[in-house]
Amino acid sequence: MAQDKSVKVKTTVSAAEAAEDAFSPLVDIYEKDDGLVLVADVPGASKGDISVQVDKGVLTLAAEARFDVPGEAYSRTYLSFEPGRFFRAFALSDEIDRDRITATVSKGVLTVELPKAEAARSRKIEIKVLE
Amino acid sequence: MAIFRWGMHFDPLAHLRQIQRELDRVSWPWTAGARRIGGGTYPPVNVYESDAEVVVQCEVAGVEPSDLDVSITGETLTVKGIKKPLPREEELNFIRRERGSGEFTRTVVLPNEVDAEKVEANLRDGVMTIRLPKKAAGKPTRVEIKG
Repeated sequence: MAQDKSVKVKTTVSAAEAAEDAFSPLVDIYEKDDGLVLVADVPGASKGDISVQVDKGVLTLAAEARFDVPGEAYSRTYLSFEPGRFFRAFALSDEIDRDRITATVSKGVLTVELPKAEAARSRKIEIKVLE
Repeated sequence: MAIFRWGMHFDPLAHLRQIQRELDRVSWPWTAGARRIGGGTYPPVNVYESDAEVVVQCEVAGVEPSDLDVSITGETLTVKGIKKPLPREEELNFIRRERGSGEFTRTVVLPNEVDAEKVEANLRDGVMTIRLPKKAAGKPTRVEIKG
């Protein structure tokens, strides 16, 4: 079953996202020739629960972890995590092409591709030999 | 790593943790409210219990169902798995690295004996929920006294 796992990336933040009381997701960030890749663990969040936004050079990741928690009839014997909100923001360098940022989610892992703007890519400069 | 049997809400450090949270709030107001995750025993688990069943949940973001192994021995539940590294990780040029990867094992001593045959495990969006029906309480066995 081919599933669309892409997350919509908005280029403006409509309202200030409340970071209060949110979990900060753990991330890996690595650099490729043509951009950066950000990988964040957001267990419990599916595509519709995740928002990736870019505004004024700030990349914002927000996700809602929703998983079924047994009801009142169950005692909480031991708790180390709970459904809640993930939130984390990163300042983007001007080298990132903000209009081409894409994001996907699979198995509670969010991957954001941040391509470098054409002008910022390293390119090989040919050296001409002048006779 | 089975430590002790759950069943009571007793955290000897609860009061200290509360003080630590309050101090964090004062010392680092910009992190106030942001609850830190990670750094503890992996994966984090929750244990719930009703009269009929025990429910164990664990956070295993990015772990494939085929890389997870759930087993029950007596009253002990063991969750083993592998959080795979990113593809061709050794070649990647990391700027930030927090997620970690590798093998993990977590053991939970169940509050009751469960019916191992009827245990169900579901994985959704990186959260695994294991439902373990309790074994029907047997009638007390009467021991014949000879003599």
